[in-house]
Amino acid sequence: MNRQFAAAAVSNLRWSPEDSLTKNSLIWLTLMTATSQESAFPAPETTTAESTEHMIRRLAELLPLQGPITAFAFLNPLQGMENQPFIEALRQVGDMFGCEPFLPEGSYRDKMARGRITVDDLNEILAEESGFDGDHKIAGLVRHASLRLSMLQHSINPGAEHELRWMIAETDAIQRFRSEISHSVRERMIDSTRQWVSNQFPVSASASASRSDTTEELMDVVQDAIPRTLLGGSGALDEAAWESVSLALLWRLLRTRIERTSNGSHGSASLTRHRDLLLAASSEDSDELVHDVLIRFCSVFLDQGYAHWKLPHRGTGFFHAFIALFSSGGFLTKRWLRPVAREVQRIHQAGMSALESLEESVSLLGIEPHERESFVRGSLLALRGWAGMIWQTEERPDRVYIPSRHGTLIEFLAIRLILERYALQWLSRETLDYRGSLDRLREFIGTHHSEKDAEVTVEQRAFPHLQLAQLHGWSPKMIAELSDSQWQELVHAVEKFSSFERRRVFHLAFERKLMRHALDSIAIRASQPLISPKNPQIQVITCIDAREESFRRHLEEVAPDVETFANAGFFGVAMYYRGAGEAHYTALCPVVVQPKYWMVEDVVYALTDSGRQRARARRLLGTAEHSFNTGTRGSLTGAVLTALLGPLFTAPLVGRILFPRLTAKMHRTARGFVAPPPITRLRLERPEGTPASPDEDGIGFTLSEMVNMAERALRDIGLTSGFAPLVIILGHGSDCLNNPHESAYHCGACSGSRGGANARAMAAMLNDPRVRRQLLARGLEVPEETRFLGGLHHTATEAVTYFDLELLPGSHMRQLHLAVDIFGRVAERNAHERCRRFETAPLDFSPAEALQHVDDRTEDLAQTRPEYGNSTNAVCFVGRRSRVRGLYLDRRSFLMSYDARQDTDTSMILARILAAVIPVCEGINMLYTLSAIDTRGWGCGTKLPHNITSLLGVMDGAASDLRPGLPWQGVDIHEPVRLLFIIESTPEAMLRIMDQDPTVGRICRNEWAQLAVLDPNSSRIQRFVNGQFVDYQPSTAEIATAESSLDWYRGWRDNLPFALIQGKNGS
Amino acid sequence: MLVQFAGIMVVISPAALLAVLGLATLFRIPLSERSVARYAQASSVVGLIASLCILAYMLAMNIRNVPLELGDWVHLENAATEVDHGTAHVHAPANAEISDTEAAEVVHVEHFHFSLKFVFDRLSVPFAIMSFVLCGVIGAFAFRYLHLEEGYYRFFLFYSIFQLGMIISSLAGTIETLFMGWELVGLSSALLVAFFHDRPAPVQNGLRVWSVYRIADAAFLVAALTLHHLSGSGDFDALMGKGDWPGGHATITENEALLVGSLLLIAAAGKSALVPFSGWLPRAMEGPTPSSAVFYGALSVHLGAFLLLRVSPVLELSPILCGMVVALGLITMIFAAMAARVQADVKSALSYASLIQVSIIVMEIGLGLRYIPLIHIIGHACVRTLQLVRAPSLLKDYSILENALGDHLPDSRSVWRRWLSPDMRARFYRFAWERGYLDSMLDDFVVRPFVNIFKWSDRMERRWTTFLSGTSGTQVTSDRDTGET
Repeated sequence: MNRQFAAAAVSNLRWSPEDSLTKNSLIWLTLMTATSQESAFPAPETTTAESTEHMIRRLAELLPLQGPITAFAFLNPLQGMENQPFIEALRQVGDMFGCEPFLPEGSYRDKMARGRITVDDLNEILAEESGFDGDHKIAGLVRHASLRLSMLQHSINPGAEHELRWMIAETDAIQRFRSEISHSVRERMIDSTRQWVSNQFPVSASASASRSDTTEELMDVVQDAIPRTLLGGSGALDEAAWESVSLALLWRLLRTRIERTSNGSHGSASLTRHRDLLLAASSEDSDELVHDVLIRFCSVFLDQGYAHWKLPHRGTGFFHAFIALFSSGGFLTKRWLRPVAREVQRIHQAGMSALESLEESVSLLGIEPHERESFVRGSLLALRGWAGMIWQTEERPDRVYIPSRHGTLIEFLAIRLILERYALQWLSRETLDYRGSLDRLREFIGTHHSEKDAEVTVEQRAFPHLQLAQLHGWSPKMIAELSDSQWQELVHAVEKFSSFERRRVFHLAFERKLMRHALDSIAIRASQPLISPKNPQIQVITCIDAREESFRRHLEEVAPDVETFANAGFFGVAMYYRGAGEAHYTALCPVVVQPKYWMVEDVVYALTDSGRQRARARRLLGTAEHSFNTGTRGSLTGAVLTALLGPLFTAPLVGRILFPRLTAKMHRTARGFVAPPPITRLRLERPEGTPASPDEDGIGFTLSEMVNMAERALRDIGLTSGFAPLVIILGHGSDCLNNPHESAYHCGACSGSRGGANARAMAAMLNDPRVRRQLLARGLEVPEETRFLGGLHHTATEAVTYFDLELLPGSHMRQLHLAVDIFGRVAERNAHERCRRFETAPLDFSPAEALQHVDDRTEDLAQTRPEYGNSTNAVCFVGRRSRVRGLYLDRRSFLMSYDARQDTDTSMILARILAAVIPVCEGINMLYTLSAIDTRGWGCGTKLPHNITSLLGVMDGAASDLRPGLPWQGVDIHEPVRLLFIIESTPEAMLRIMDQDPTVGRICRNEWAQLAVLDPNSSRIQRFVNGQFVDYQPSTAEIATAESSLDWYRGWRDNLPFALIQGKNGS
Repeated sequence: MLVQFAGIMVVISPAALLAVLGLATLFRIPLSERSVARYAQASSVVGLIASLCILAYMLAMNIRNVPLELGDWVHLENAATEVDHGTAHVHAPANAEISDTEAAEVVHVEHFHFSLKFVFDRLSVPFAIMSFVLCGVIGAFAFRYLHLEEGYYRFFLFYSIFQLGMIISSLAGTIETLFMGWELVGLSSALLVAFFHDRPAPVQNGLRVWSVYRIADAAFLVAALTLHHLSGSGDFDALMGKGDWPGGHATITENEALLVGSLLLIAAAGKSALVPFSGWLPRAMEGPTPSSAVFYGALSVHLGAFLLLRVSPVLELSPILCGMVVALGLITMIFAAMAARVQADVKSALSYASLIQVSIIVMEIGLGLRYIPLIHIIGHACVRTLQLVRAPSLLKDYSILENALGDHLPDSRSVWRRWLSPDMRARFYRFAWERGYLDSMLDDFVVRPFVNIFKWSDRMERRWTTFLSGTSGTQVTSDRDTGET
């Protein structure tokens, strides 16, 4: 119900003070899936009432949100968990997804070594921990804060059990002090040991009366560890021997004491899936068997038309198609699969539905009601790429050619469990000789094969203490004399600060450092005068994309009298679009929006004939190419074609790879002959009163819809007066070859397509005199001499193309030539700045060479990094450009134009903007951040073995789970941090918006993004901390300055600090 | 003399690349990505130019056979002694002179000799040129494609082994030399399949490729030994008579030819993924795209066909053998044509498409054709390399194509829909979807019996040792899973 309502709301993207706030909030609320009340996650302990179907639909929100890879979904991979605090959600992902929540500790320590994290940052984070008293002395030995700090600063944790055993046996880890221990500490430890040993043992009998039992035992241990020679009385050991005696003593004491201390953590969560238990007991993975079948079946089931033979009975749905497939033939199939044929026939004859079969499997596997949810979740997430794609084809049928019907995910799960049952049966018989029924399997494994791997050994627990004792100078005597409760406190403090906690502190400290730097820079810049040209000749509106930050900066450096704005790259025009010479409609709007309008590009009437001829030529060539391609894959045609024409293929092969530039040029020229004619029109308008539809009559927008969109587009960015004669609206898109992830480089606000058509449509609307008249009636005057021009910024090649140039009156030619000239120079500069990130581009490139280089990258078949997309994004500034103009933000900031002074008292405009900007930018940021944290878990790993399957997504190699997320080649320079929103507004306004818009509220309150507000009239910044805004004290009043961007970044590959560019900007 | 020099260069250039990359790895000498790529390119270019020189010379002088002897390596008086063809000979060309002197000292009565001999003829020169061209192009591709990848150096090391193996196999003048190259190709292929060794699937599949290759190698080795018994040496000219390829006449009898030929056919079937060994080919698509492109799709998959071409005079002796070759080709073609039609992922589809062509090439060889299969191999290798290298463009290609046609691509209207009843269609579909059950048949009929025998022996051994040591046999069950692989 919500979905329909939301769709209706989208159609009404107009700004009107009385109703827009609630509506717009609802758009995002309902479209960003995880919001409707039934989807609240996690559910309270499942009571009896919830149906399995309901539960599966709820759990499906944990699945990846990536639909077909041609429309890249920049959404938070953990969107389904956004209603929990960020850190709490990450705490669970290890168990749930098997992915890392943070970078490895080592990589944070590297950042420390490079000064990207400082001890002060760590201290600051530690001091802020709630329920943590840093000054408390743990066991009377050490301040809690310094204990934690030392655990962060020094690598003290052993690896796996074998690694530790090796360390003890093969290195001098328990003979020599750590190298970083100072000489004096070492001396002190050795001296105290020496004294202690000589005091205690010659007179062992007399002292024992006063000791407790524990100490008694400990003393035995100590006595054991001391070399005989020493007890013999000659204290004549040298320094080195004493060192090893001290450490040996410590080690023995610690081990003995640890042995008697229960493990503070409550052990790992009990494993509900039989597969996990079986894997631990027999090292055989039943998922391997199941997935081998399931992956192949999913790929043919979801296939959008690649395979020649279609899956028989696909139309009957996943469940029945599987039953049909497995009922026929197959007597030679793998042994474990053979009984499945009989089973599916039984299910078929019994007339069971998928849901019934699923329930049956669950009970056959002996799943108790209370474990049902975690079992189903585990089964669903085990092959989550495919499961997610099935869910997407079911939920968003508009985005695929061959959708799946309602309930396919349940069918998938039902089949999965049938296969799982037989895989488990087979493996448990083969490896554990278990022949009983499956519902007792877990019990059997539990009693006969205790999971010894999961247990942490005493050595593993004692080792960190040994390191800490050295770092803090705890002598064996001190350890031996700790009372039981003190010892317990120490162990507890050490073990509670687990790897997750340590990495969390590191991560927060790293974010803090960057946050401070960003806020300081903005505060300093904001305290300086506004920069906005008096009478701009040209105004440029770009996307909020972080890539456009440098583009705009260079634009402003090259032409100080140009004014720039930014808006979400679909410019409020959500539509299905079909260009001239294109076969299908593409949705050009954020991936969560379901467009209500259709738009077509036509060849102009005068060129219709030529257009038709060219279309015919294209069709002819296309058919020929298609026949050739399928021919080479066939048998006899293939033989003839490859044998006769094959050697000719060395030419394109060698050309493409060795001379990409030349080949590309030839290709382009050749394609030019059959491309659609260059002059086209958008079919913009549809008569008032006709419903929008993809048919002839329903294409376009009605006049009033256009007026609404136009008004909103201008008011959102605060461009309501001071219009330049030429206003250029630039969508953006990318270019690359041989890259399944191409759409990840296009505009995220156009769901991975080029945003040119949106810019063009918006410009056309704003140029319409009727629209302008109605705008005037609504109090928004666009001067008659102002013309809007749509364009497309190619972010890879830096080229800018313009639309409808022939409609531009002669009076504006001067501005156009000016703009073309400026964009030409900006292209070189921006390319140059981008090239500093490419290791293959020398740092001493000239701007012209850089432009050629970025151009070459797009034509290169072997190039896996055509550009870096939104990588390195860290900040999102929402406010007037004039307040941050001249600040070098290193392509790390999304920029959204917003003028608080033009907003209503209740900040309607801001609410409307943020409803889109916050979820969209947070989604992009989280996808980059998580993909960079665990490229193989959240991202899609390296591109090299990717294998396109079903025309929907990529697998690793021959067969694997579908890989959503970003590839390593797209995030290797990204620093994982949560996005910092800096919004030019007041705390009251923000709090109100958070209350009214659940999505925005959830993201900010649960800290999936950081938030700060910049006062519109001063440089005061307030941070959003623990649910309220607190003043931010800038840590510095100084910022680096540079003559130009070039001067600042020249010679650097790494991320740069922000800086003020002072060049000719002052005008 | 000049042609001898060119000949040596053809062999030396890939060997030198392996030496440079191998030694640099061994002694941890850091090389930049760029210099590694430069060496690889230099090696291919030098090798290519040298082979083109030889081709020009042969054409100009109308010579059809240029042998290149790099000395005898082993002389034995007693043919019964087993000889190790192992790694010691891999670096052979580099120290050829030393062995010459050694060879001179050996007594003259020989029953076995192993000479390192290369032959430039109408078969080997085109094959070598093709290998250099494709390896060179892929080297240039990989330089950019694998940029910053962790395994960059490893890839080029395996690449150099592969290239050397291809050149040695194509130029081999004796069956032992051919085996040497064949092994290098097999080794590097398996390692490249397992390139991403931090995930389990590539390693498992690499192991699978390796084990199938072992079966093929075993057959090859037995064939080589049998040849020695029959003709006294492994030289191809001793076996095939003095005629230049493809005009040689073998000197053995028909039955002997059938025996040797069948063994070689098994070897070829393993290497070229013919039935029943086809299962490994799609699984080999685990490595980085360039390696799957050139190595499995284009070069090494043709090596089996090449072997059959090389020993074609043997085939000619036995009509039964020719029949077997044709039958195997035909069965594989039918199987692959079906399997190719159900694959929904681009790499598997292309690998089965490759298999179709390879099996047709094998059929052509069985039918007595010689030049046509050679041309077919070269043409097919080029087409498939380009297609595999472009595989990541699939989505873009499809959208361009659909835009040109103005609609979704039409379903292929084939025999499939028209002639087969739905039930038959389902059966065929299942067969193709299960990839002809080849993997499970190998597992059931080859692997399982072996494993069972081993398990049984293991049990017997335990029982025997328990009996001897007099302890009770309780621990027997706990170690039972050791045999399962």
